[in-house]
Amino acid sequence: MNRKLMVAIGLAGVAALAMTGCASGTPSSGGPVTITYSNFISNGGNEKNLATIVAAFEKKNPDIKVDVKTLPYDSYGTALQTDLAAGTPADVFDINGPSSYGPYQANGVLAELKGVDSGVYNTALLDSYATDGKQYALPTSFSDVVLYYNKDLFDAAGVKYPTSDWTWADETAAAAKLTDKAAGVWGDHQPVTYNEYYKVLVQNGASFLTKDGKKAAFNTPAGIEAAKWLVDKSGTTMPTIADGQGTADFDTNLFKDGKLAMLHTGIWVFSAFADAPANWDIAVEPGNKTSANAVFSNGIGVSATSKHPAQAQKWAEFMSASDTMVNVRLDSGWELPAISDAKKLATYLDKGKPTNRQAVFDAAKKIAAAPSIGDNQSAMQDAITGELIEAQAGRESVQQALDNAEKKINALLAG
Amino acid sequence: MPDATLAMSRGFSTKAPRSREANLRLAGVIVLHAVIILGAVAMFFPFLWTIITSLTPGASLTNTPALIPANPSLGAYQQLFVERPFAQVILNSFVLAAITTVVQLVTSSTAAYAFSRLPFRGQTAVFGVYLATMMIPLQVLIVPLFVELKTFGLLDTYLGALLPTFASAFGIFLLRQAINQVPRELDEAATLDGAGHFRIFTGIILPNIRPAIATLVVFAFMGSWNSFLWPLVVLRSPELQTLPIALAGLQGQYTSQWDVIMAGSVISVLPMLALYIFAQKYVIQGVASSGIK
Amino acid sequence: MSVSNAQTSLVDRAPQFVHSKPVRDGRTRNNKVRYALTVLAFLLPSAVPLLLFVLGPMVAAAWVSLNQWNLLAPMKWVGLGNYAKLLGDPITGDVFLHTVYYIVGYLPLVYIGGLALALALNTALKGRSFLRGIYFLPVVTSWIVVALVWRWLLSPSNGIVNSALAFFGIHGPGWWTDPHWAMPSIIIASAWKDLGFIMVILLAGLQAIPSDMYDAAKVDGAGWWRRLFSVTLPLLSPSSFFVLVISLINGFQVFDQVYAMTGGGPNGASEVVVQQIYDLTFRYGRAGEASALSWMLFVVVLAVTVIQIRGQKRWVTYA
Repeated sequence: MNRKLMVAIGLAGVAALAMTGCASGTPSSGGPVTITYSNFISNGGNEKNLATIVAAFEKKNPDIKVDVKTLPYDSYGTALQTDLAAGTPADVFDINGPSSYGPYQANGVLAELKGVDSGVYNTALLDSYATDGKQYALPTSFSDVVLYYNKDLFDAAGVKYPTSDWTWADETAAAAKLTDKAAGVWGDHQPVTYNEYYKVLVQNGASFLTKDGKKAAFNTPAGIEAAKWLVDKSGTTMPTIADGQGTADFDTNLFKDGKLAMLHTGIWVFSAFADAPANWDIAVEPGNKTSANAVFSNGIGVSATSKHPAQAQKWAEFMSASDTMVNVRLDSGWELPAISDAKKLATYLDKGKPTNRQAVFDAAKKIAAAPSIGDNQSAMQDAITGELIEAQAGRESVQQALDNAEKKINALLAG
Repeated sequence: MPDATLAMSRGFSTKAPRSREANLRLAGVIVLHAVIILGAVAMFFPFLWTIITSLTPGASLTNTPALIPANPSLGAYQQLFVERPFAQVILNSFVLAAITTVVQLVTSSTAAYAFSRLPFRGQTAVFGVYLATMMIPLQVLIVPLFVELKTFGLLDTYLGALLPTFASAFGIFLLRQAINQVPRELDEAATLDGAGHFRIFTGIILPNIRPAIATLVVFAFMGSWNSFLWPLVVLRSPELQTLPIALAGLQGQYTSQWDVIMAGSVISVLPMLALYIFAQKYVIQGVASSGIK
Repeated sequence: MSVSNAQTSLVDRAPQFVHSKPVRDGRTRNNKVRYALTVLAFLLPSAVPLLLFVLGPMVAAAWVSLNQWNLLAPMKWVGLGNYAKLLGDPITGDVFLHTVYYIVGYLPLVYIGGLALALALNTALKGRSFLRGIYFLPVVTSWIVVALVWRWLLSPSNGIVNSALAFFGIHGPGWWTDPHWAMPSIIIASAWKDLGFIMVILLAGLQAIPSDMYDAAKVDGAGWWRRLFSVTLPLLSPSSFFVLVISLINGFQVFDQVYAMTGGGPNGASEVVVQQIYDLTFRYGRAGEASALSWMLFVVVLAVTVIQIRGQKRWVTYA
């Protein structure tokens, strides 16, 4: 019995080697060209919507077939990095925002996309995937962060609803009035993270990095004020970490339960709030010295090693700009296409709650550019979030936290 | 220990006059049961929570879980099996785990026999090298392994996913320890009867290490069933996808449907639990019937 | 056979790592070749996959460790630069310290707990098969779910644990939100999850103990504790040895629970070696350093394992 099994294993090994010969590289002769598309954007519920877009593309381009590979969002980077290291990336692949785009472009992983009709796209978003005037990727969708507010709580406290003219002072005053700790009601919630911090820096007239991008620039009076804007909410108008702040879904659940008056978060929770009992709406986030908003986009790029760059680019453009894509996304509520034509997006304004959907577009007009530093991007983000949380938990003063963060980030920038 | 309980259970059954000692024993039995059952409740609780969450449409996480869901629904399970290809995904995982388990049983038991019963020069060093294969984290081996499988042309194939799981130092070590506990008198008797190593291995050793084999079956299967990183990078085609990756796919970029995720967790735990209970029964029967014990 | 006899007969069995001359006198050359072939036949099925798919990549990782590599651009040779950089980086010491802290807390907890559980569930309890299944449940549940549950149980303000402590007038700590309590939180959750794993292995070991050993001990009038220390534990020692070696090897590579429970936080307070290796490889674009760190970890784990193997003579007895 054992010998047989061992023989079987031996045969399996031989078969493996034999397959080496035939499995790799089958250039198509004649017939349609197949391109591979590795994505995470359809993961978690939009697989069918993506299939609809692919079908429309293949119908329009009978000579191209798109082979879709979908990966979990959380692990997409790991799989893509492995592919790039081994030289096996898909022809077309998703890029998790401009901060991922930076290192990929810098390392020559992306093919230049020539002849893209730039007028179709939202200019600011398109530019975040260009380097030295050359386009290396295209934005497929965007989301921004707005201020959600619970009208019932505002009415009960006799506070006026937020408007686009609000500043931090208005928000602080309202939050104080709305907070009723005895009733478990909190006035405000804003995450204490890198993604908030670089934005509130711009809102306060400061910036994360120096102009040349070589040093941290946040350790200034304006930068400290911005950090305090985030940190000082904790325990006064916002729940503390010990209360659960910062854990998954904590803020959105609190808002849904009618225990939170204002919430800074992305437009991706619209659908989750659709059946919330309270009356709620959104407004553009208050600025301090100026208005600035965090906009997150997903991008799509063509591999520099693709054997079919022309066909691959065709798909990348279709996936980021075609009417089919726009309609599928708007109909299903699958994020917003990053296109410029306001008319095509008009139906979005009447898709139900919240009423003030115009705020989504208004926010996208004033974008706080996210710093992009290449390979050390994630390390930089981890460092600033870690230090801000130290300050939030009261283990460090805001000044100490920023001193530490500045030291760490300058070390990363120095390489 | 087994006889200790015999004594304890006698404390229950016989109506002998209660001596102080018997009272003590009875108290011991009661405390033991109480502790074991309380512990079991603590162990079971998270699973119960998983089940409840899976039956609660639109469930959220931070709220204190209700013991009875407000509007219980099997919608999450329906989503997994009707709207998503979870039947296919479970089958894929099952096939991979079954193959891994069978192959590991062969490779582990033969190697374990060699390390326990076939002395050779440098045996300790070779065994050390085997153990060393467990000492480098997978995270750093993924990229070299991926490149290697690429040169073999085995990316996006089941064989590529399986090959690195075919031998496990864990399994070899586990069985080696078990074989070391089998009395050598049994081999020697068989040798006198003219049996060679293959016959001793299959006829004497394997039947005598059934508890360890059952343990390895459970762990080998579980290792494959739960493995994430390697299948993630090597298997890309949707039709090849395995359960842990499909489960990770339920968590979106911004939001997650927790009822569906928990339903996925429930269906991934149940087969393993069934396998363990089955393996346990088999071991106990095997031990009872082999008589060599 | 009395207990003392059983003991002596155990002692004169040579431990497996000490061998007499491999090939005894009187063997012909032909016999030697046949014996060698037999050894090979038993070893090759495992040796080939391990060589190709573990040792091969390990050597490749060693080579990567001598280069600067972000996985995207070609590698750049830096010799031992990565090792020097890691040794000069305070984070390296931190992650090793946190990892050792984890092991020191986790190992005694899970071994003693697992042993007690295995002993208890090896008795003639009613429904023990069912109970074993229950205790095995956490082992098969994914860390994502387990971490969610434990973060909730250990929630500083409204978790069950702190509520229970408050009942006794104790102000509970911040658990995973507090740098000093993050690692203990991970240790508790890990021990809870792995208890069933240790139980399963030790149960298999207990079931392999011949019952006549106990009969003999009982004839000698040995009580429960004496039987535990003179029969059960010595005869269980090969299983215990296995559990300790494996738990240490796995403990040094602790990752999933840290990633799921604290993400290494707050602010790196629970960051462990393998997490740093993962981040360096896939998030920070420093795969060369990650490989170097892996090899540093390897040396530490190997040293600890060799010490254990050397030390087993003192306490591990084989049949």
